[in-house]
Order: sequence, then C-alpha cells, then structure tokens
Amino acid sequence: MENMNLPKGFEKKPDTQYLKYKTAEKRGEAPSVNFRGGGRRPMHAIGQAVEKPMDAKKTLARLLQYFSKAKKLLIPLLVAVVFVTLAALIAPTLQGSAIDYISKHKWSLLYKCLVGLGIVYACNVVFTLLQSLLAAKLSQYIVKLMRHDLFKKIDNLSIKYLDTHSNGDIMSRMTNDVENVSNTVSQSLGSLVSGVLTVIGTVAIMFWKCWQLTLITLLTVILTVIVTKQMSKMMRRIYRKKSEILGRLNGHSEEMITGYKSIVAYNKQPDVTAEFNKMSDELTKVGIKADILAGSMGPIMNCISNISFVIVAAFGGYFAYTGLISIGTISAFIIYAKQFSRPINEIAQLYGSVQTAIAGAERVFALIDQPDEDNSGDILMENVKGEVCFKNVNFSYVPEKQVLYDFNLDVKPGQKIALVGATGSGKTTVVNLLMRFYPVDSGEILVDGVNIKDIKRDELRKNIAIVLQDTVLFSDTIENNIKYANPSATDEEMIHAAEMSNSKRFIERLPDKYKTYLKQAGAGLSQGQRQLLAIARAILADPKILILDEATSSVDTRTEKRIQDAMVNLMKNRTSLIIAHRLSTIRDADKIVVMDEGRVVEMGNHEELLEKKGRYYTLYMTQFAGNQI
Amino acid sequence: MWKYLKKYWFFCLIAPLFMIGEVSMDLLQPDLMRDIVDNGVLKNNFDIILGIGLKMIVLVLFGALCGILCGVFANLAAQQFGNDLRKDLFSKIMSLSFQQTDKISTGSLVTRLTNDVTQVQNMVMMAVRGFVRNVVMFVGGIFMLYRQSPTFALIAACGLPFVLFFVSFFLKKASPLFAKVQKKLDGINNVMQEDVAGARVVKAYVKEAHELKRFDEANDELCNVNLKVQTLLAFMSPCMNIVLNICVVTVILVGGLTFKTGGDMTPGRIMAAITYLAQILHGITFMANIFQTFTRAKASADRINEVLDCPEIIFDGNYESVPEYKGKIEFKNVCFAYPNTSGGYILDNISFTVNEGETLAIIGATGSGKSTLIKLIPRFYDAVSGEILVNGVNVKDYKLKDLRDKIGIVLQKAELYSRSIEANIRWGKDGATPFEIKKAAEIAQADGFICNTEYGYYTNVSEGGHSLSGGQKQRLSISRAVLKNSEILIFDDSTSALDLKTEAKLYEALNKEYDGTTKIIIAQRIASIKGADRIAVLDHGKIEAMGTHGELLEKSEIYRDIYNSQLKEGDR
Repeated sequence: MENMNLPKGFEKKPDTQYLKYKTAEKRGEAPSVNFRGGGRRPMHAIGQAVEKPMDAKKTLARLLQYFSKAKKLLIPLLVAVVFVTLAALIAPTLQGSAIDYISKHKWSLLYKCLVGLGIVYACNVVFTLLQSLLAAKLSQYIVKLMRHDLFKKIDNLSIKYLDTHSNGDIMSRMTNDVENVSNTVSQSLGSLVSGVLTVIGTVAIMFWKCWQLTLITLLTVILTVIVTKQMSKMMRRIYRKKSEILGRLNGHSEEMITGYKSIVAYNKQPDVTAEFNKMSDELTKVGIKADILAGSMGPIMNCISNISFVIVAAFGGYFAYTGLISIGTISAFIIYAKQFSRPINEIAQLYGSVQTAIAGAERVFALIDQPDEDNSGDILMENVKGEVCFKNVNFSYVPEKQVLYDFNLDVKPGQKIALVGATGSGKTTVVNLLMRFYPVDSGEILVDGVNIKDIKRDELRKNIAIVLQDTVLFSDTIENNIKYANPSATDEEMIHAAEMSNSKRFIERLPDKYKTYLKQAGAGLSQGQRQLLAIARAILADPKILILDEATSSVDTRTEKRIQDAMVNLMKNRTSLIIAHRLSTIRDADKIVVMDEGRVVEMGNHEELLEKKGRYYTLYMTQFAGNQI
Repeated sequence: MWKYLKKYWFFCLIAPLFMIGEVSMDLLQPDLMRDIVDNGVLKNNFDIILGIGLKMIVLVLFGALCGILCGVFANLAAQQFGNDLRKDLFSKIMSLSFQQTDKISTGSLVTRLTNDVTQVQNMVMMAVRGFVRNVVMFVGGIFMLYRQSPTFALIAACGLPFVLFFVSFFLKKASPLFAKVQKKLDGINNVMQEDVAGARVVKAYVKEAHELKRFDEANDELCNVNLKVQTLLAFMSPCMNIVLNICVVTVILVGGLTFKTGGDMTPGRIMAAITYLAQILHGITFMANIFQTFTRAKASADRINEVLDCPEIIFDGNYESVPEYKGKIEFKNVCFAYPNTSGGYILDNISFTVNEGETLAIIGATGSGKSTLIKLIPRFYDAVSGEILVNGVNVKDYKLKDLRDKIGIVLQKAELYSRSIEANIRWGKDGATPFEIKKAAEIAQADGFICNTEYGYYTNVSEGGHSLSGGQKQRLSISRAVLKNSEILIFDDSTSALDLKTEAKLYEALNKEYDGTTKIIIAQRIASIKGADRIAVLDHGKIEAMGTHGELLEKSEIYRDIYNSQLKEGDR
C-alpha cells in the first residue's frame, strides 16, 4: 500500500478523480459525504459530476408557458408581426409591378402603384414600431416574471438545500442565466415569429402554384433540418460545457475576491492567479470551439439554400420542358425559394443564442423545480407560553452519521437554558431542529405541548427570535435593519432596543444616525457592532422564545457585560436557549445542558454541576486554570 | 484596451479578409442567378443550368469556407483578447490594496471580471466580423448604385445625412441608459447575495414576503430601465425605414421619368438600384446595432479600466539585506484613519515595541482599533503618520512579499476556500508534507475533527467554509498560519468560537512548539491572555495601559473592569 507511511487522516483519497474544485454541486442534488456531527452542514466529496439528461423540448414548452401568461401582449404582437410580414411580402411584388409598368410605359398605373407602395411602406413602418415596442414590453414582462419566480423559490428553499449548494451557483442562475433568456427573448422573438410566418406563407403560395416543385424544394428543407439538428446537438453539448466552466470560473472569482484578505496575507496572489488563468484558458478554448461552431451555422445554411436554388432551377427547367409549368412560375419559385430560405437562415443565425438561452432556462427551471421548504402544519399559536420539549430526538444530516442521539430536554416557560459542549457536540443542531430548518429523524419537539410539525411554520418562527454567530445585516438603513422583524415598531421602541443592546452609542455617533444606510450589508461596521445590531433586532422582535447562538463571541467582554445586563431584562418572561462557549455567559442559566457527541451528558444548574465534579466542572476549571498563553 | 488587441493583430486582419471573401461571393450570387434564369431556364438549356449551377455551388462552398474561417479567426482574436483581459484584470484585482477593495465592492469586482469582460469581448467579435461585413456591403452597394446611375447615387446621398442623424441621435440617447441598466443589475444582485447568505435570518424572522417585495422592487426598477432603452431603440428601425422607403419611391419615380423621356435608363437598372439601396440601408442598420454593442461595451470597458487604472498605493520597498532582529515589532507615533471617513483617528499616536519571541496581547472594547492596529503590520493599510518597524526596518522598505512572508496572520473572519482541507491548510506553506500539515492541524486542535470526516484531510470544504462550524473554520485557519511557521504570528480574535477547553489546549500546544515566535494576540477573554508577556489595553485608538496581568490589575481601571466582569468568581 502506498498509503502505508502517511499519517492518519491522509489514508483515504476520494475514489473519484481528485479535483481541486468541486463540480459536483453544479447541477442537481449535491452528493454528500459523511461528516461527523460536528459540522452544522454536511460536507461534500470531491469531484463527482452529476449530469442530468437535458430536455430542450420540455424547457422550451415551459418557456412558452411564460409567454402564454402575457396573452394581452402576445396577441397584439402576433398581429403586428403578421402585418409586418405581409407588408414585407407585398412590397417587393408592388416594386416588381412598378418596374413592369415602367417597361410597358403604363404611366398612370405606375403612379397608382407608387401610391399603393407608399401605403404599404407606411403600414410597414407603423407595425414595425408596434412590433418592437410590444416585443420589448413582452420580453421585460417575461423576464420580470421569471426573476420573480426564481427569487420566490430561492426565498422558499430549504436551509438544507442552501447549506449543500454553492451560493455562487445559485446566484449565477439569476444573473447569467436569466439574463441570457432575457437577451434572446428581446432580440430574437420578432425575427423568429416573422420568420416562421414567412415560411408558412411562402410554402402555401408555392403549393398553390405547383405542388411537385414544392415537394422538391421541401426536400432541401429536410436537408437543412437534418444539418441543423446535428449541429445543434453538438452545439448544445459544447455550450453546456462552456456554461459549466463559466460557472466554475465565476465561482472561483467570487470566492477569491471575497476571500481576498487571506490571499494577500499569505502572498498567494501568484498561485490564485495561476489557477484563475488555467480556468480562463480552459474557458477560452471551449468558448472558441463553441462560437466557431455557432458561427459556422450561417455560412453552412447559406450554402444549403443556394444548392437548393440550383436544384429548383434544374427541376423547374425540366418541368417547363415537359410543359407542367410556365416559365414565369419558375422565376417566381426561385424568388420564393430565396424568400423562404432567408428566415431559415436568420433562425439558424440565432441558434447560438437560443441554445444558450435554453441552457440557461434549463438551469433556472431546475432550481425552480426544487421542492419548497416543508410548510406542513396549520396550528396557530396564540399567547405562546414558551414551553419547549425535546422528546427522544434523533437526527443526522447525512444518513450514516448521527448527530443527535435520543435527545431529551424539557424547558419550562421563561427558563434560561444554556447548551454547553465542545465544538461539534450538536448544540447548533438543536437550534436547527427547533427552528424547523431541518426535520427530525425520529422523536418529537413540542412547543407548548404541540408538535412543531403541526404548528404553522411561520407561526412557529414568529415566536422565536434568533441571533446567530455570523451576523446577517441587509443593505438598508440601520432603522430598517433593527425593525426587520417588527416593521411597525415606533421610533421610541427602536431607540429603546438600541439602548438595551448597547448599540445606541455608536449609532448616534454616525452622521445619519438611524437613517444611516449600511452599504454592502454593513461591511463598514466592526464585527462587534454588527452583532449589537443583530441583538437590537432580536430585542425589538419581542419573541416568546429566544435563541442566542454564540451571539456575543465577537463582542468584547466589556460590551458583552453591558449586553448581558440588557439580556437579563430581555430574557425575563421569555424562554431562552443560549449556546455559548464562555461559561461566564451561562453561569446564571436556570439549567445548563452539557452535550458531548450528540448526547446529553450532564444537566443541572451551575452549583449542582460544580458539586458533581463531572464534565462541567472540568470545563469550568479549564477556563481559569489551564487556559494561558 | 488596444494593447490587448494588438497582440492578435494578425487574426484581426485576416478575419476581415475572409469576410470580404464571403461578402464578395454573396454579391456575385445574384449575377449568377440571373444568368441561370436568363440563359438557362428561359432558354431551356440544361447544360447551362448545370454548368452555371455547378459553378455557383463551388463559389458558394468557397464563400461558406471563407465565412467559417472568418469565424475561426474572429473568435481566436476576440476570445483570446477576452482571456488576456480577464487574466490581467484578475491579477490586478489581486494586487489591489485593501483600501481600494473597500471602495469598489467585491460584488462589483466580480461583475466586472465576468460580465463586463464578456461584453467587451463581444464587441471585438462584432468589430472584426459584423463591422467589416457591413462596411463592405455599404461601400460595395454605393459603388454599384453609382454604376447603375449617378442620379441614384445622388438620391442615396440625400438620404444618408438623415440616416446618420437618426443613428447618432438614438445612440446618444441610449448610452446613459445602458449605464443605468448596469447599476440596476447590481442592485438586484445585491438583494440576491444578501438573501442567499442570510437565509437563516430571513427565515427565522419569517421575512420571506418582505424579501420578495424588496426583490420585486429592484426587479421592477431594472425592468423599467430596460424597457426604456428598448422602447427608445424600437423607434430607430422605423425611422431608418422611412428614409429608405422615400429613397425607393424616389428612385422608381426618377428612374421611370428618365426612362419615359428616353434618358439613359432601363427597368433592370431600377430593379437593381432598389436592391442596392436595401443593401446599403441594411448595412447602416446593422452598423447601428454594432454601435449599440459598442456603447454598451464602452460602459463595460470603462468599468474594467477603472480597476486596471487603479494606481498602486502600496509600493514595494527595496530592502534586501537581512535584518538584525527576528520578530521584533515597533510602532512609533502611529496614527491611522480609514480613507474617506469622517471622524477622528482610529489609531491615535500609538507607540510600543514587541521584542523577539515576546507575546503581546491586545484587549479593548469593540471599535477601539485592535484589528486596525494589527492590519498595519503586514501593510494591509499604510499608517497616516508615524512609522512601523519590523525587525528594525520600516515596513515600507520591505518588498511586500518579504514582509508578509514574515507574518502569519489569522483574521477575525476565517476565510476558507472550496478545496480539500489539506489544500486549505497547505495554503500556509507550499510543498508541505502530510506530516507537517497534520502537525499544524494538531497544534490548532483541528486534527481530531478532520480525521473524523470520511476522506480525512482530503474532504472538500464547501464554498466559504459553509460546511464547517465557526470553531472548525477558525481552527483550520489557525492551522494554516501555524504551518507557515513565520517569525511573527498574529491572531485577530481568532479563537472566539472555540470552547474554552479547546482554546486552552491550542495555546498550550502553540507555546510548546512555537516558543520563539513573536506573537500578537487579540482576544476578548482575559483567561486567554492572562499569561501573555505583556498586555496592551486599547481604548478609543489609544493605548490606555500596558503591562503584565498583575501590573494591569494594579494600574488600569479599564482592565480591572474587564477582569471583574469575567473572572471574579473563578480566580481563586
């Protein structure tokens, strides 16, 4: 075994080809790999590519459904397109007649003809304008709808999905993919429809004039279709690859630019740049291939249409010779055949962008098709007392690794419970389950005696306020950030909450005070200040149940002390679950739950547990004894 | 931008040549067709039909070949250009100072790198392909028109100014709108980003509906601006058509009258003239489209240039000899304020020295300037006044790389990357052996949880380390810094998410293995730093007191406050 001499933890490389970047999550379900309960989220193995079969027809059909929602625009648009197409078909005929009249010296007819031509032109201009305006409106309408649907889905995705999929990938569906659809819809819709109409109209006239010759002409169309199909198959494959690499590149860029500080600190710019360059080169290679293929479509189609012209001329000549058709019909056919191949050509030119759009739409729909977060339960909770009870709860993020074992916890209304334990002992999981971010595997969680599964989800969450370790603020004013959970709160209440959370002082030092707009989600604030705001938000939310997940870890102890004073008030009459690593934070808890490896090992108040000289005692003593630099 | 294109001048030159080939074949085709109809079909001559037909097929194939080759070279030029630009932009972004990235948001940098580069790349593609094609069509068309009759050329010349007027009018109106579109797009991305990252909070406060509304507002704004642009542009093509149509009618009328009065005119020429007029106009319309892409790309190019043109603010020094100390840090009257912010100094006249192998702890309230202080050492920012010496040499005199190689820093927010745990740690030292990596992880107390994953050190970390808990993330970034084994080790409150037992073990291991390393440790808990050689108490950007734990208890009121709030009961 080549691994014999490697230290523990290095023995097992993933079976699949070792890739530095995960490609697994790009599409479909992310493969999850066992990870001991410690992490709040499952990890992924490296380099498993999941490819779903692509179905362009289905995607297209769904895209059309969006159009059908805009009937009010679509129908006038189609009418406009019909008129534009008609005008475009009639104008050349009138021009031809005009020239005929000139050659035959029929001057009065020429003037009439020119007037007619003027009218047709005017119609053309008016309807073209109408068509463009409607197409613009329609495309914006559809894209707006699509973005709305997509965001609504993202808004309702389960935490599990978000935890297991890369943010960059989700983002790129909104930015790149919807944008692609938007561009194609606005740019190609008109030409697509008028192209189809022209083809249908021309074929009808041709059949009417001579069906035999029409059939021969159509044979060349079949050739066109076959070539188009073959090329499109190739193109779709390569475009998909391209968008995959593009997604990877974008992901890499985003990650590296966001994590830029550590890169600088470790002098890693050359390495990171080299990696980026490698990906960029790869993208370029595939991109060149894809676009050359797409660009070849036009010339090849042009070629086919000309070959078909020669065929029509040859057979037409033969038919004329046998007396089946007149010579005039042949020249008409030649014009029609040309007219007929022009829109096909145009459509072919659009092919590349249509392919990209369909691939984009496919990815958008794939996300939209993700199941919504579980929303079962319809019991409304009024006057929640705040009693929380975990009964024999078992849970695992991934099947093989259990995170909570037979977890039991009884919390009386208004009690203050502290969860203590090493990282990875399952404390955060308890919160995830109580919030219904994840469903339990077995056992049940009761709030006021009602299984949370049966409580209306939003109702449950409305009664719980949560302050997380990673503070989340929004690019909005400080006021709106504090009032996030309770927009109807008065300014007095808001200022009171700010005061209670000890954030009033720094807020009022800002130039616009509460109206200060937090750019980039509060990037200008310090970690501590951000947390103070999150606490103020929770205070204003005024919940029955409060969850603090290491909420004060980045606030310095003096500030934390002040917050704690406020917290004492806040926690009055509220059930509180506190996850904290600082024993000073939790000393006053009514009940301290010591967890280890997903099990409760000790439970009791501070004094009781110290008496016991068990796990808690050891933990407590290390804070002061062994923890020195 | 031009310098990027220059490299591919050959492709840029040859692609249009092939395009001329393709267009010429397009121009020849109608002639051959007329030949087939006039001499073949009308005269029932099969040999001619087949002969010319064959000739035509050959020419068409040649044209198609030219077209494909033009595509090949245009793509080679455009995409390689885009590739170079993208790479340069990325490496420029990587070399920006913190001050600059603070100003241009990271989100915006990402869009510039992805969207904007693509826009500019498309422009190049359009330029070498579409632009040339339409110029040839336009010039060829005018020439042919003149050959039919100088009068026709005169009519076209009268129409041309109107066309040009319309083109410039619409482009002028549209280009500011394009910039606006881009801005609104940023807005939508912003909402997305925040919501995806903050999903837990959104859900916890049941604000899904509110967020949807917020998004819809951004969405509305974007769509409205987009609609404005498209509405404006919708008027362009009809306006052009009016000019063309008037020209066509005039040509028929003038041509007819000339023919009537027995002038030099034939019906066939009128017919041809109409075709050429259409061709010319088609060329102009297409050019207008290309200009549209240009203006759009111009906005993108400007955004890219803004980054590329960012001046270097933090320069390499040229100190090359070996300093006499190893791990000594001095601050001399250092003042600092973040650029473009009102208010006073974040750091106000700070002076202190950390000796070789010494451990300095810094404690102080939120916003007292702790993080800012340590960021000055690896020159993430430069001090406004005063100087900072590392090993007796001003930090500004070092080459940046040399300076930063001396310092292992663990940032407050652990930054991890989507690659294996092993690769994340190895970040600290290229070519580290598995044993070294494991050793570093052991010191950082990370080995245990790593070994418990299925693939151990080869387990992949998901983007931003979302698959890890805060404590695990911190320990991985500590492993990274430990592996670097630099002269100076800085922890910016980087054990805050660790439980006390783990933290205690970590410091114990660290002191055992890296006793000689100078350490600066920012912490919140007095217990973590009690044993430091010296502790600095920072308050409002000033050092309030400095000394050992015992000394500070004596002389610093602030320190005593903190101490009392944390240790009163336990200090027995």
